[in-house]
Amino acid sequence: MIEVNERIVVPSAPRAVWGVLSDPRAVVECVSGATLGERQEDGSYDATLVVKFGPTQVKFGARFTLELDPATMSGIVVSKGKDSIGGTRVQAKMTFSVEEQADPPGSAIPITSEVEISGRLASLIETGAKLVVKRMLGDFTGRLAQRCAGPGPA
Amino acid sequence: MKVYQRLAANFKAEGVTHMFGIMGDANMYWMHELDKLGGVKMLEVRHEGAGLGMADGWARATRTVGVATTTCGPGVSQLATAFLTASRAESPVVAFCGEHPTNDQDYNQRLDNARFAAGCEAGYVRLNTPDDADDAVRKAFYMAKLESRPVMLSAPMDIQQKNCEDDEPYQPSSTLIPPRAVRPDPEALRQAADIVAGSRHPVILVGRGARWSGAGEAVLKLAKRTGALIATTLMAKTWLSEDEYHVGISGTYGTRTAMKLFEEADCVIAIGASMNRYTIEHGYLYPKARYVQIDSKPHVVMAGGRSADTYIQADAKAGVEGLDRMLEERSYKNVGFRTPDIKKQLVGQYEDRKEYPIEPGTVDPRDVIRTLEDTVPTNISLFTGSGATAGFSNIMFSRQRPLVLPSHFFGCIGQMMPAAMGAVVATGNKPAMLVDGDASVMMHLAEFETMVRYNMPLLIVVMNNEALGSEYYKLDAHKMKSELATISTPDLGAVAKAFGGKGRLARSAEDVRSAAAEWVSKPGPMIIDARIARSVVTLPYRRIHYGQDE
Repeated sequence: MIEVNERIVVPSAPRAVWGVLSDPRAVVECVSGATLGERQEDGSYDATLVVKFGPTQVKFGARFTLELDPATMSGIVVSKGKDSIGGTRVQAKMTFSVEEQADPPGSAIPITSEVEISGRLASLIETGAKLVVKRMLGDFTGRLAQRCAGPGPA
Repeated sequence: MKVYQRLAANFKAEGVTHMFGIMGDANMYWMHELDKLGGVKMLEVRHEGAGLGMADGWARATRTVGVATTTCGPGVSQLATAFLTASRAESPVVAFCGEHPTNDQDYNQRLDNARFAAGCEAGYVRLNTPDDADDAVRKAFYMAKLESRPVMLSAPMDIQQKNCEDDEPYQPSSTLIPPRAVRPDPEALRQAADIVAGSRHPVILVGRGARWSGAGEAVLKLAKRTGALIATTLMAKTWLSEDEYHVGISGTYGTRTAMKLFEEADCVIAIGASMNRYTIEHGYLYPKARYVQIDSKPHVVMAGGRSADTYIQADAKAGVEGLDRMLEERSYKNVGFRTPDIKKQLVGQYEDRKEYPIEPGTVDPRDVIRTLEDTVPTNISLFTGSGATAGFSNIMFSRQRPLVLPSHFFGCIGQMMPAAMGAVVATGNKPAMLVDGDASVMMHLAEFETMVRYNMPLLIVVMNNEALGSEYYKLDAHKMKSELATISTPDLGAVAKAFGGKGRLARSAEDVRSAAAEWVSKPGPMIIDARIARSVVTLPYRRIHYGQDE
């Protein structure tokens, strides 16, 4: 089990950040290598995600559900996926909330992730997987900040 | 005639010229008889497991049966790791092992050899009666050769001392095995040709089996016709690297350049390669490829539990020639990966220029490999050990040599020094170099005395980071106390001298160069203790434990 507890900071107002994080399409656009598929009848979504473990790329197909609480600006994302080549399975649960940050002005987003990788790939990535998850989160933060800031002045 | 005498004569009749082991009262009569018969050199070692490891090295170098011997009980129980290593290496080895007397079940040195052999993945043949002397030896050699595995021949002490008849000549195991190559099935070849002809970017992946069958020329021809890159398994490292589209190893020890090209491959032609999890990373290395596999075994399941799209049971050479002939009949020719752009990408593919701070008094391990590659001529064979430092040697050594034998069978340390010694003996005492880690060499360091006693021209370069390297970096990646995996060593150059050989302590690339040059000028038993920087992490570890894309 990989556990990642991070607090990312985005220089935008909480409402603007929440606006992105509560929109599955916008969130997926902030994840490098991810594409959003169909919305299912039960409210879940299909998605694909390409993850780089060293020079090796692995494409996962996943289904995720998003539970949002606008009142507290918090959410839980639960996803389950597998890849088509080695049959590696991934389960992940991520909880997050958006909080106002005074100095520097913006939003703080505490994120707790639990990722479990099982199957054939697990033996090839070992400790590195946690660092890959952390790196992806760092990448996500940058894209999220950019997205929240909106298009720059012409 | 005594049974032990007949057994000894039978071993000689099997063509045995050397054996490795330690004498005890359960094998000494047999050894004494072999000495009397003449023509079989007994190399006395310091640990029975190391003796079996040498027989394993002999088998890997020559593809003929390596022979080891032990007394009963405690002599046999020392063989565990070496048996398992030989089993995973698929080495034909026969171990003549003593067994406690059948009429004394309270014997101090008793051991259930059958159960021990089973637990160690060794074949088992027992001398049950005096009349078994011929059948037992013949069966042990037959099994070792046919199944390519280690076999224990268990000889109870009391049975060895009984009388037996010698009125008929011994029929050696070679009389049972017809030397016949497996020919490919034409329909399987046609299916394979369809897959290859339908591909645009094929990779030919060769393993030990291709090398053993002498398929080299045929592989080069097929690669040119199909526009394929040539990659090897770890075990066939550097083989066919004269080809300008050779990309080194496919797998954990592959270069980033190779891995990026493999992503584009739409066909893999595997030849004499087991296609295990390390070679194809469960298939992740070749996400778009269909597989054609040629192997002499009835069938091989690839890593990931899947079968090749077309499997051809055949001797590698016959299979490759058959496939090439079929493609020629179709006038098939493809440029594939063989373009000037790809050739440019392959220049300097083995280089690793990432900068690390180097601790004072140590040398960058990559400089040790570069220096050895440049200083030790290519007519000298190379053996690489296991453990963390193999991540340097298994990637960076790129020149062809008479023998290039990597380790890693059973994932243990300590086994490559004995194997290298056995291989040196098997090749008529031709000079060779072993590059291995400190914990690995320390494990069987006493065998350096054996090297000195028999004047083996083996250079041991110890990549010495005074640590259990693998654990050191894993602990570090987990942000745990990595120092727990450090173990100091004495100056191993001085130790080598104390044993009667040559030795040097090296703390710079120049130290390594001058010591290696000294050995090259007069090869003999020598240890270079190269103190390497722990700060430099191998490429595989950067990927696996530190999640880096390099």
